[in-house]
Amino acid sequence: MVDVVKLLYDVLGVRILRHEVIKGGVIIDVKPEDLGDVVRGITEGLGGIYTVVVGVDARGIDGKYHNIYVFSLDNLKTYILIRVRLSPEDPKVESITPIVKGANWGEREVKDLLGINVLGHPDPRTLILPDDWPSNTYPLRKEFNYYVRPKPSNLGSSYVPKRSEEVVALPYGPYHPLLHEPEYFELHIKGETVVDVEYRGFHVHRGIEKLGESRLTYNQIPFVAERICGICGFVHSVCYCQAVENAAGIEVPERALYIRSLVLEVERIHSHLLWLGVACHVLGFDTGFMHAWRIREPVMYLAELLTGSRKTYGINLVGGVRRDVNKDSIEKVVKILKNVKEEYDYFVRSLTSVKEVIKRLEGSGILPKSEAISYGVLGPVARGSGLKRDVRIDHPYAAYKDVSFKVPIYSGCDNMSRLMIRVEEVYESISIIDQLIDKLPSGPIMSEDVEVPEFKEGFSGVEAPRGEDVHYVITGRFSKVYRWKVRAPSYNNIPALKVMLHECPLSDAPLTIASIDPCFSCTDRLVVVDVVSGKKFKVDFRTLARRGRL
Amino acid sequence: MSIYKKSIWVFHLNTGSCNACDIEILDVLTPYHDVERFGIKLVASPRHADALLLTGPITREALSKVVDALLAVPEPKLVIALGSCACGGIWYDTYSTLGGLNELYKVLKEEYGIPEPPTVRVPGCPPRPEAIIYGVALALGIMKQKYSTTKVRVE
Amino acid sequence: MSRLSWIKKALEVGVVTRKYPFEHVEIPEGSRGLPEFDSSKCIGCSACANVCTPDAIRVIDDLNEGVRRVEYFVGRCIFCGRCAEVCPVSAIKITKEFELAYKDEVKFIIELKLVKCSNCGKSFTTTRHLNYVLGKVGEGIPELITLCPDCRRKLTINSFITPGGGIV
Repeated sequence: MVDVVKLLYDVLGVRILRHEVIKGGVIIDVKPEDLGDVVRGITEGLGGIYTVVVGVDARGIDGKYHNIYVFSLDNLKTYILIRVRLSPEDPKVESITPIVKGANWGEREVKDLLGINVLGHPDPRTLILPDDWPSNTYPLRKEFNYYVRPKPSNLGSSYVPKRSEEVVALPYGPYHPLLHEPEYFELHIKGETVVDVEYRGFHVHRGIEKLGESRLTYNQIPFVAERICGICGFVHSVCYCQAVENAAGIEVPERALYIRSLVLEVERIHSHLLWLGVACHVLGFDTGFMHAWRIREPVMYLAELLTGSRKTYGINLVGGVRRDVNKDSIEKVVKILKNVKEEYDYFVRSLTSVKEVIKRLEGSGILPKSEAISYGVLGPVARGSGLKRDVRIDHPYAAYKDVSFKVPIYSGCDNMSRLMIRVEEVYESISIIDQLIDKLPSGPIMSEDVEVPEFKEGFSGVEAPRGEDVHYVITGRFSKVYRWKVRAPSYNNIPALKVMLHECPLSDAPLTIASIDPCFSCTDRLVVVDVVSGKKFKVDFRTLARRGRL
Repeated sequence: MSIYKKSIWVFHLNTGSCNACDIEILDVLTPYHDVERFGIKLVASPRHADALLLTGPITREALSKVVDALLAVPEPKLVIALGSCACGGIWYDTYSTLGGLNELYKVLKEEYGIPEPPTVRVPGCPPRPEAIIYGVALALGIMKQKYSTTKVRVE
Repeated sequence: MSRLSWIKKALEVGVVTRKYPFEHVEIPEGSRGLPEFDSSKCIGCSACANVCTPDAIRVIDDLNEGVRRVEYFVGRCIFCGRCAEVCPVSAIKITKEFELAYKDEVKFIIELKLVKCSNCGKSFTTTRHLNYVLGKVGEGIPELITLCPDCRRKLTINSFITPGGGIV
């Protein structure tokens, strides 16, 4: 840790007002005027990669608003948190999006939810809140009463997409007959080639962060965190518990860490098998879809045996886990995994021998390495473009320091690389589970001392099947959290679609969108505009996928 | 509901859920549970559907789209609400959601004057595939509701 | 590996469908389904309502009828099982039931009689809760056990101020 602090002072000098070392990272305070220079110093001078932007209404702590910019130094295994303090009457700060492209969404979110003005942002439209939200009402400010709900007005969407001059105007009142989940992608095409994409999402915004601050205590939040995502929910629950444990200095017993890692790897296997099935379905290969989900069903039975529920496991509490594994369960785990591995082997060899699948995947959806770094992409999307990023090795947590495994990296930058990475990760997960079971220590599963002091900061990252997931927590009074911030991995991956879909044939578009593995039903609504002929037609995901099939 | 004794066609409508219930719907179609042996299939347009399979607490951004989809299903229609979110679960009082199906029906009655369609609710977080099949069987009138309200006064 | 490998695998595996509801399904032990409330054991301490995240269990004092109502609404439950863990008298048991679909609302309600303060008449706890606490600490001080916390506090302080009077 001393190395990192000295390095920071060497590069940034007097711009650092003060620093504080927390578990897993360093927080530095800088003046708002120096922000641009500091960010350049960290990204160009030290090779830091953008992670997240957090806005905090800290008027209850020191009378100001805070904006925190987090960067990750992978080779030194630390996070760097840059904090600026803004005045309470008129909070404003210079945008860093011209320097770091990935901060685009983060700064728009801070403006929506907290009212912090971001000057010089290239695209200052509303991102998260509904289109009929009353203006000058900021939900995450402390004076916004949780129990008051502004009345909804049933007007149509007033979203204005940005497009260049030669595009014909679209009807964007969303009264469409084909609807699976409301997420709105707009592709601008010339003939049969896509030139640009617009995205209006956040139809699933449920106000989780405000809920966590209002009527829930520390031990109730893991159950809410699990329901953020329906496929990788346990990752959020572990990350939140780790952030609070880092802030409070709680030591979790070894056996609890092993159980958490075991369940995390089971979740990774089921998520990748689900994705393989969906990718086959998008290609038009329904046989592969049915076989992949047939192989996945015993894994769901395994999760229910270990934790009590097929999907939302609910075994995490601050300080440990609340349910143990016994010897019978472990024997069944070993037997079931052996069967799954044999079936999976046969499935993968059959899939990669179908020549049409290989030809569709190779060479489509290219994301060059420099763009990948600038957008801060994560998970298999980053590893498919040659970046060596995996939180289990860069910032080790739980029991991963005790097991050895390989992280597959491919430099193809296309859809085929991302598929091969996910295929190989399943084999690695099965190997990790075998090692964890061999080395499982005995002992308690819950820490004795779970005192959480007030106003301490904690930060934690966990490797989800889709990438790096981070949580930031400030503890508060009366067993409640003061500020809780969640950043899921698809948040960083979706803006990179602009690059991947540029000059891409229309029939490869649905496969490219599915290859970043967004939460399953969020890419379902596309409006296709033919720039050359002036025709416009609405189509749903199924129809577009059918057009893209063989 | 006796007209529904034959196989019904279902339209899946996600109003802002976390996707766990939606994955369980896909699971019901896969070989282990295979709901297609009853003749039920998922359709792409609400105009072709007999029943609406609704998941998620209704978020404000999705509200207008949900109302349009609901009005597009031709009469007589049936609504099956899957999961604890639609029955009024954790998100019943956040600023960005309506909080469940009861609130949606209130909005429909006040703004459009439409009566409540027949509804079956399936709690669970997420409900098992077998629970979904039981819910559909209850909607068709093949099986009876297993639990009812009980009240006990003790000293 | 050729395309025929898919057909070979399908023939080898055969039919895997579990024909629910005509066939029994195997659910592993420890799976969490509907909680079951034992009204003969409940004391009305509302520990379950404090720990319930979606407020599926609510405890309301109905002063008109003089009862404390413990109400469980199945539509809001997320089946986490925390209520069974924190109940001090083990009145809640988690079963494996999953056939919970309903058309008319399903609620489980237990009503417990409230105790009235002998001084001011305010209701402050249930008879069962009072007996449960007395069972743990012994007989208690007879003048204090039928008083609500406010009256108890006033009596104790008065006994310090008034010389020679009150409780030891």
